[in-house]
Amino acid sequence: MYFDPNEYLLNPYISFLNWAVVVGCLTFVVLFISMVNLVATRGANGIGIFFDELGEMTADLFHLSPRRIWALTRLTYTEAIRRKALSVFVVFGLLFMFAGWFMGDSKEIKPDQVKVYISFVLTTISWLTLPVVLILCCFGIPEDIRLRSIHTVVTKPARRVEIVLGRMIGIWLIGCLVLAVMAVVGHFWIVRQIPAESQPLLTCRVPVYGTNIEFLDREGNFARSGVNVGDIWAFRSYIEGATKARAIWTFRNVDESSLDSDGNLNFENSFSAFRSYKGDMTRPLFYDIKLFNPAKNLAYTTDPQPVNEFRHKLDKIPRKVTVDNVQYDILKDFVNEKRELNVEVSCIDREQYIGMARSDLFIRMPDRPFWMGYWKAVLGIALTLLLITMIGVSASTMVKGPIAAVLTFVIYFLSLKDNHQFMDQLVFGQVQGGGFLESIYRLVMHMGPSQELPANPAFTVVKFFDWTLNNFLWLCRHVIPYSQYFNMPEFVSNGFDVPWETSILPSLLVTAAFIIPCVVMGYFALRIRELESK
Amino acid sequence: MSQSENVIEIRNLSKVYRDFWGRPKVRALNALSLDIKKGEVFGLLGPNGSGKTTTLKLLLGLLFPTEGEVKILGKSAADVSKNERIGYLPEESYLYRFLNAYETLDFYGRLFNMTAAQRKERSEKLLDLVKLAPQSRRRQLKEYSKGMTRRIGVAQALINDPDLVMLDEPTSGLDPLGNRDMKDLILDLKAQGKTVLMCSHLLADVQDVCDRIAILYGGELKVMGRVDELLKAQDETQIRSSKLSDAALKEVQEVLKRHDANVINIDQPTASLEDLFLKTVQESRERPGHRNVIDRQSVT
Amino acid sequence: MTNMSSQQRKLIYLIGIVVLLIPIIWLSLPSDGKDAAGGVLSQLRSKYELGEADLGDVDASSAAMNFALLGMRGMAVNVLWKDLDQQKDTKRWAEMQATTESIVRLQPHFERVWDFNGWNLAYNTSAEWDAVPDRYYWVKQGAKFLKRGVERNRRSTELYYRTGKVVQHKVGYADEATDYRKFFLADPDPVFKGGPDPVINPDGKDNFLVAREWFEAGCARERTRAQHILDRSLFRSTPARCLFDYAQALQKEGKFGEETRAAWDHARKDWTESYGRETFHAQIGPEESDIMLEMTDEEIKQQAGTPDDALRVRKAVDAYQKMTNYRYWRTRAFAEAEPEMAEAHRRLFDAKQAYKAQEFENARTAAFEGMEGFDKILKRPEYASLTDEDILCEECLLGWKIWDDIYQVSGDKIPEEFPLKWLLQMKQENQMVMANVNKQFKRLFLDNK
Repeated sequence: MYFDPNEYLLNPYISFLNWAVVVGCLTFVVLFISMVNLVATRGANGIGIFFDELGEMTADLFHLSPRRIWALTRLTYTEAIRRKALSVFVVFGLLFMFAGWFMGDSKEIKPDQVKVYISFVLTTISWLTLPVVLILCCFGIPEDIRLRSIHTVVTKPARRVEIVLGRMIGIWLIGCLVLAVMAVVGHFWIVRQIPAESQPLLTCRVPVYGTNIEFLDREGNFARSGVNVGDIWAFRSYIEGATKARAIWTFRNVDESSLDSDGNLNFENSFSAFRSYKGDMTRPLFYDIKLFNPAKNLAYTTDPQPVNEFRHKLDKIPRKVTVDNVQYDILKDFVNEKRELNVEVSCIDREQYIGMARSDLFIRMPDRPFWMGYWKAVLGIALTLLLITMIGVSASTMVKGPIAAVLTFVIYFLSLKDNHQFMDQLVFGQVQGGGFLESIYRLVMHMGPSQELPANPAFTVVKFFDWTLNNFLWLCRHVIPYSQYFNMPEFVSNGFDVPWETSILPSLLVTAAFIIPCVVMGYFALRIRELESK
Repeated sequence: MSQSENVIEIRNLSKVYRDFWGRPKVRALNALSLDIKKGEVFGLLGPNGSGKTTTLKLLLGLLFPTEGEVKILGKSAADVSKNERIGYLPEESYLYRFLNAYETLDFYGRLFNMTAAQRKERSEKLLDLVKLAPQSRRRQLKEYSKGMTRRIGVAQALINDPDLVMLDEPTSGLDPLGNRDMKDLILDLKAQGKTVLMCSHLLADVQDVCDRIAILYGGELKVMGRVDELLKAQDETQIRSSKLSDAALKEVQEVLKRHDANVINIDQPTASLEDLFLKTVQESRERPGHRNVIDRQSVT
Repeated sequence: MTNMSSQQRKLIYLIGIVVLLIPIIWLSLPSDGKDAAGGVLSQLRSKYELGEADLGDVDASSAAMNFALLGMRGMAVNVLWKDLDQQKDTKRWAEMQATTESIVRLQPHFERVWDFNGWNLAYNTSAEWDAVPDRYYWVKQGAKFLKRGVERNRRSTELYYRTGKVVQHKVGYADEATDYRKFFLADPDPVFKGGPDPVINPDGKDNFLVAREWFEAGCARERTRAQHILDRSLFRSTPARCLFDYAQALQKEGKFGEETRAAWDHARKDWTESYGRETFHAQIGPEESDIMLEMTDEEIKQQAGTPDDALRVRKAVDAYQKMTNYRYWRTRAFAEAEPEMAEAHRRLFDAKQAYKAQEFENARTAAFEGMEGFDKILKRPEYASLTDEDILCEECLLGWKIWDDIYQVSGDKIPEEFPLKWLLQMKQENQMVMANVNKQFKRLFLDNK
């Protein structure tokens, strides 16, 4: 199973600083450009006008009225409903009627097929709500300006920032309504599709991961990682059997609450097996788990356990364990004063390997019901919708509907995991073949990435251009959200509960980080433009 | 005339429309200066494209001036709080077509922070005032005729009981009955002590209701003053009497000749076209099938 | 143009549309069911049997998906293939299988797609799993997938072959073949209640016999639609070869009764009387002639007009026999009919069992007797050619290896002379043979543990 929850970790303090710097710079740039523009068009008066306007804008922010915002929200909402935004349910209905076609028969369901069902539902509902929200948020204000109905609004005491806010909230509510209906249907669909005997697979495991993993090599020395057995995917590291190679985890905050109702400590793993020779294929590879406390020189090792590759394997360790005929209490004797528990895993079979990553061994807490994780995943989609709404609405205050829609979609598209990572690679020069112009030249001239470009002024210009573009990309990379934070469906489809600190909190923070810049930008754009369609 | 009585002050106002590249395209308004006093009905006149609507939009802050200054109710055009006391009817009623009449007024009422009870009471009152048929009040605006749209447009402009009402072409698209209602309404507003600024390209519209008018042409102010004074032709006299016989007419002409007066035109007086239309409508209601053919030929 | 009113322009557009539509309508007029009726496209479709129903089972979902994508199928397929690759790299097998499903919905008549993905499931995915039942599950998935490919593409010769190949080769010759062959008859999945998976083995037959059916169907198809996998003579030998596989597998599993004898007999008959009598159009250099692999001199004379011609045909038959290993299998089949041969096999099997059970004395005796048996048979001139091929030699040498090992371990002196010494000397230089022998031997050792 593929899953790395560590990817989502976000440090709130550093992120906040980062955010403040980016927002500050953006504000400065926007204000500076508009001041220069005013001075250029209005002469010396321009400066006065600029500060008057700035004062008015700030004053407006203190005159926000919830009732007016709510009125504009309702207007947006009514508009969407009366303009038949809900016809998306037709597509939704059709998809689910024929979903069986894509899914294969549900007679033989395996754990990872449950995953396919859940991710089908969650993917479908997010990809159906997305266009609805995208269209509504990008075409609302431009259409309002084109039809000049906005004239009747801005000539009332409604502040333009209230229009932006009202639009955002209204569209998000519509999105949430559509999402909620689809999610309810999807929930029933999943539960119905999965036969009774596989129903226990629908659960939300609550893992407590080790804070870090360390490896010992075959001589017993600390190593950065284990052995790479030649997988393209370097996620797991392997330890060799019957040597001193070990993988060591440290679990923090282990206490009574980590035990299940019977007083056992549950370790779940998803180790992977690699054989250097096939040997007796009917016999699985074995590992054992050792709990140890270096301070007390105490260790308890489980019996050898078979690797259950690509599935989960649960090892229950009772609270009271016997070592050399003496009974010890795990929590008292093995957990140290810092409330840490050290766990070591070794492979037993000679010349065979067991692969593991940090997330492959965790303490499994009591499961939560499926619906809990499912609705958290839906919350994740709702937050994505909110983000898109905010970006879309503020884009639509500056440019026409179709352009705003394309812009917003591109931002969303770039925020997807693979694309964002590709952007990172470009920015950090990890992509071979040079920048935009250089790579085009290389492509056309059939030039390999290792060949040097000819040294002449033309290529200096090319490189400078690429360098400039790359720096622009660096900016984009910081402004474009990383949607991986919102990837709560991945947790649920992998059978996990959505954790607060590595998923819900970061996504809330990212969303919050976009509220102020988007609203202010939308307001600013609406404020400085003449509301005539041209 | 003290400053405080001026509801609107326009000083040296110019507006140049620019194209995408910022190059001047049209000079829509050139150095306009005028004041509008509290309680008067002021008409901006002029042919299409003369800058009337531009002036209104500059006053409302929908457009930004290229030069000059505007004070409206003592505040700048960019100040949103001025809108609390202003009612605006756009040239065409740009309302939300998917709302019905009640929803429309409710929505605009909310923008004025009115309570639900206030909104309800005010909506009913206004819909009666603008004579919107009760059966059409629950229909979406997209099904409305032009006249009905205009009526609801007026209603929304008055939702906050404004001190200053700005009407852009208030009578356009209205039938003569509606036209008459509109004029009555404006006079009514005046009677309540409100200031009304309206613009129109129809002299007939403004002459009945306006205290003062300004005529714009090509973005420049050409004429301004009290309507009766402007309409009073200084070197002409009009005599009206009951119908004269040919002999009597001859006699009158001779008298005029004696005084060296130049006879411009003698015929039977007619009401304005509007009056005639009204009369015809009224007559055809009383006597269905009646045809009143008047073959008029001007006598010089 | 610029002076035209919008109405005039619209009219011109309309005329343009109609003009463009006429040839399209003419080309694509639907058929009314009669032959050669309808537009050109429809006629061509029925001529080349390209109608959806002619190609195989109609899958409404696939048609609907392609329709819904309008012209975007290529793009969608691209994205899916990219996903597939990534899912494979990151070992997300269920998702990979789901992606595969989507791909074949979009490319239902692209044979290579079925071929590639079937192979991917049966060979690559299965190898990633550790437990044998898991591995078998994925082999089965591959076979089932290919079977569906056949159902959707009835006219494809190659997909029949590929399906047969997975059932024959992956199930029958993988390292885990012993288990796979058992699973083929008694699936480990409790859903099947100890029986075979009815989708790939509805009648509960041996995997080689099921593979033979697939190959036979492929050969039947091949008469009308050429394949591009193997030379035709090899392709057509596949059903018959399955019978040899079957007979050998029975021996390997220690069955030496009537069943095995009958299997060899059946295989021989099929090889010489059916496959051997098929006509091939041989092309050796610039010369062409129709030949059969089993041809008497009389027949060659008849076939050829002149003695020169006869020589040429003789040469062609020789070349074809070499290519298909025809003579080896014929000889082998005859040899396997000898009771001594069966006995030698049996003794060798006994030796293996005894060795596993650590009854080394019994193993040494049995191995020696087996070696003696093989020695005798292989020294007979009519069977001498059997040593040209490695398969049987490996089995013989495994007997020697067991025998030799017991001497080594016990520290007894190895006799100077022993049966098959000459074969050992002959094959000692052949790395491949010795490696295979050692591998098989090591397996015995492991099983022992």
